[in-house]
Amino acid sequence: MESGKMASPKSMPKDAQMMAQILKDMGITEYEPRVINQMLEFTFRYVTTILDDAKVYSSHAKKATVDADDVRLAIQCGADQSFTSPPPRDFLLDIARQRNQTPLPLIKPYSGPRLPPDRYCLTAPNYRLKSLQKKASTSAGRITVPRLSVGSVTSRPSTPTLGTPTPQTMSVSTKVGTPMSLTGQRFTVQMPASQSPAVKASVPATSAVQNVLINPSLIGPPNILIITNMVSPQNAASESSNALKRKHEDDDDDDDDDDGDNL
Amino acid sequence: MKGNETMLDFRTSKFVLRISRDSYQLLKRHLQEKQNNQIWNIVQEHLYIDIFDGMPRSKQQIDAMVGSLAGEAKREANKAKVFFGLLKEPEIEVPLDDEDEEGENEEGKPKKKKPKKDSLGSKSKKQDPNAPPQNRIPLPELKDSDKLDKIMNMKETTKRVRLGPDCLPSICFYTFLNAYQGLTAVDVTDDSSLIAGGFADSTVRVWSVTPKKLRSVKQASDLSLIDKESDDVLERIMDEKTASELKILYGHSGPVYGASFSPDRNYLLSSSEDGTVRLWSLQTFTCLVGYKGHNYPVWDTQFSPYGYYFVSGGHDRVARLWATDHYQPLRIFAGHLADVNCTRFHPNSNYVATGSADRTVRLWDVLNGNCVRIFTGHKGPIHSLTFSPNGRFLATGATDGRVLLWDIGHGLMVGELKGHTDTVCSLRFSRDGEILASGSMDNTVRLWDAIKAFEDLETDDFTTATGHVNLPENSQELLLGTYMTKSTPVVHLHFTRRNLVLAAGAYSPQ
Repeated sequence: MESGKMASPKSMPKDAQMMAQILKDMGITEYEPRVINQMLEFTFRYVTTILDDAKVYSSHAKKATVDADDVRLAIQCGADQSFTSPPPRDFLLDIARQRNQTPLPLIKPYSGPRLPPDRYCLTAPNYRLKSLQKKASTSAGRITVPRLSVGSVTSRPSTPTLGTPTPQTMSVSTKVGTPMSLTGQRFTVQMPASQSPAVKASVPATSAVQNVLINPSLIGPPNILIITNMVSPQNAASESSNALKRKHEDDDDDDDDDDGDNL
Repeated sequence: MKGNETMLDFRTSKFVLRISRDSYQLLKRHLQEKQNNQIWNIVQEHLYIDIFDGMPRSKQQIDAMVGSLAGEAKREANKAKVFFGLLKEPEIEVPLDDEDEEGENEEGKPKKKKPKKDSLGSKSKKQDPNAPPQNRIPLPELKDSDKLDKIMNMKETTKRVRLGPDCLPSICFYTFLNAYQGLTAVDVTDDSSLIAGGFADSTVRVWSVTPKKLRSVKQASDLSLIDKESDDVLERIMDEKTASELKILYGHSGPVYGASFSPDRNYLLSSSEDGTVRLWSLQTFTCLVGYKGHNYPVWDTQFSPYGYYFVSGGHDRVARLWATDHYQPLRIFAGHLADVNCTRFHPNSNYVATGSADRTVRLWDVLNGNCVRIFTGHKGPIHSLTFSPNGRFLATGATDGRVLLWDIGHGLMVGELKGHTDTVCSLRFSRDGEILASGSMDNTVRLWDAIKAFEDLETDDFTTATGHVNLPENSQELLLGTYMTKSTPVVHLHFTRRNLVLAAGAYSPQ
């Protein structure tokens, strides 16, 4: 565009002069001066890559020097990888004919968001949480209860009595389909009734959340994250009566934050 | 040279020439009597002479049709029957609102206090012969939210301004200032509430045009806390803390060249130079799926007017039809000789038009993937396409600055609008098809009279048989207005439901 602002051909380095000549030969008359620099960089990178490959090939063939055959081979291999072009027309027509023969699939009604199967979507969580094993041993005086929450399905805690998982939590694990062995986790149950009000006072709304990493081999479908949360319930007696009446529970419930969002 | 695809295409396919029988006889005699058979051999080997009987064409007619890299279209290429009619609107129970209901019942009975059925399409109970059968291709059923949208649409329609040469629309221009990221694609939702911009830095940005801010859905744990039975549950699921005017979507690894909102405003599609088409959720503002199939830049993508299907076209010279729940394309439309620059659905969702760098526009049937129309005539790569709302006509714009109008049913060119001096990169018909708006890289928006352009079409048998129409030189009469911007190429045009024009472009000080 501003060819007048280009360095005059006499003062340009020889490579740049050559590049300008190439552009002229290809019929390109208007270009920004930066184009020459960009083309030179590209040329340098391409040539060094080819020569590096050629060196590898010649050393593989146990030759003393790099000769033209090595370079030719390097160019050929490089072209297959980087400078690909779209498939030829007859190939496209052929696959089009194959693909267009199948009738259009019928659409299932009432299927919510219509997305491909999960493994082709980008909706799985791409993180795992580290376990904090140390905390379990220091949570003396608390009733630790494992809770299972699967992905976006939040299973609310129904306080087990005496620490055995209630049918509710067990149903979650069967939905996941894993034989959840709870032996691997810290499962301390202490029921000092006198201490629980103290716990209640000291831990008003939040709870000690402990996330434990489950060995993925225990999990059936790989993209469902199971977080077990150790929560200290406030008062076992009052809890068990309220546990199932979720809609009436207010904010001072000892709910944890489920952070496995699979949206 | 050997691997160059364009060369291979030229060598293997024949260039199509249409010539009248008399002219052909003259040419043949001339070439053969000279005793120099070289040229005659070349002609026989590389040209496909499509002979028609009748008057030879005038130079003007020939000039109108030439330009494509493969010659003109053969006559039988444009003979297939095309269902260009619109699908019937489903009957929706419109709840009776006292202030809005002033429509008269067809039978002239007094207004009764019960929900009246929508009578938009019920006047013509019998099937329009040009419309495809309702179940020709499977379409998603209407959900309740879709029905509500349609009711809103109908209410807005009653307030629509009727446009014409004496009642031009106002144009509201959305300039993307400081778009140093390089604006490469724009789309606006049908109800004009959201604008999406695709940029060269591989981001997609969504803005809210209305004062209502963009919110994303609450986290799963909060969702379980809300009362699911309340009436405003759809507002309650939105997280107020995330309200903002702009949302940025990260995910692509190359400039975003195409963007399209779904008709139900739940999804946004974007196509990019990295070869993928991504589906984004507009409720969580995250990416849901990446559709891989083109391995080369995808230049354009569009959702079907009924949702669920979308089409994409790219550098690999094919257009692909996808459904959101299939990870592979359902149809591959192959046939173009060069990149597919532009892909659009017909309003009845049964056909897809593609405009290509080989200067042709092809119309493809979704049902079986066949090419049912080939339109030649542009002298440069085609960058914009739009269907008329009644489904009968197609307008195309290319780098030669002309807008060409095509009759789909007959397969003929019916109009040529000259005026722009640079690539026409956006086209849109008004909601009732009275005005065609065109936006170009020469920083102007031009309005053309579409009704006048399409009236008195000579479509007698001779014309349809040979495909030659005499184009009137009436571009000046059809031009209703030229509106210049400061130096902003007009990348996108959109008519709101009330026929206000929204235009979008990025300010490029030059």
